[in-house]
Amino acid sequence: MNGKIVEDLFPQLKVSGYSITSPPTQEYNCIAWAAGDDEVCWWPDTMNIYYWPPQVQRVETIETFIMAYETLGYVVCDTPEYEPGFEKIAIYEKDGKPTHAARQLNSGHWTSKLGRLEDIEHPTLNTLAGSSYGSVAVLMKRATGTPS
Amino acid sequence: MTYANVGALRVPKQSSKDLSAMLIDTGAMGGESALIQKEYERSVDHYLFPFTTRWANPITKFLSLKKEWEDSTAHLSSITEIAMHPVYQQIIGMGPIAIPLILDEMSKNPNHWFWALKAISGENPVLPEHRGRIKQMTEDWLQWGKKQGYIK
Repeated sequence: MNGKIVEDLFPQLKVSGYSITSPPTQEYNCIAWAAGDDEVCWWPDTMNIYYWPPQVQRVETIETFIMAYETLGYVVCDTPEYEPGFEKIAIYEKDGKPTHAARQLNSGHWTSKLGRLEDIEHPTLNTLAGSSYGSVAVLMKRATGTPS
Repeated sequence: MTYANVGALRVPKQSSKDLSAMLIDTGAMGGESALIQKEYERSVDHYLFPFTTRWANPITKFLSLKKEWEDSTAHLSSITEIAMHPVYQQIIGMGPIAIPLILDEMSKNPNHWFWALKAISGENPVLPEHRGRIKQMTEDWLQWGKKQGYIK
């Protein structure tokens, strides 16, 4: 894989700048990656194939994705700005369905796993907004315990 | 001239590649000639093996659909979007004949084939603790394929 495909899919990345931070892999997906899990694919598929927190309904809605992240200690918040001592995530939606999730780094930038492609670091959430992932629907945060 | 059956067609056994080899053997081909020859080969291939004929072979059909599906969904995170992609649905529509092709493919290159396998076979051999772990899910399906006789 190379950056050309990523830039074709998300043209704003070319303008804002970004970096590829992992090789492509299918071992985990963006929903897991946002929660810091790089071993499992999370998805509430109705075929009951992929991992989903057992206490959360397997339905593809923003509400169930919020509940899934709540099992890990995240709570809904208002802004994407970096807050020392907190880790933030963003859930994207398109046509009312969750499509993607990103996690904020200590630099204030965001890390995203792009489907089966690579992880990237991108400066803002808007750089991935568009026809593929739609737009950010919800922001959540949890305390990291170590303000920095 | 001898003929071979390709799908419903009978085609001359001497292919464009044979002709190309004959020309190269003469040492008479330069760069432009080679380019023209390559295009000639492509046109002959299109004539001898039209798209419809290629799809008469399930292996060719599967590989063609697989490539299109992989290219179209690489960036997607939604498993539902990945599995509901029209091309993936066409693979499911191939029915049981696709199972050994999928198992062979996933033994070399693990991917999101679990939905298709479950939809076609009606089974799910993945252990609950392996759910979401691609390598282990793949291994569970390959073991199932061996038990069912799809893999020797």
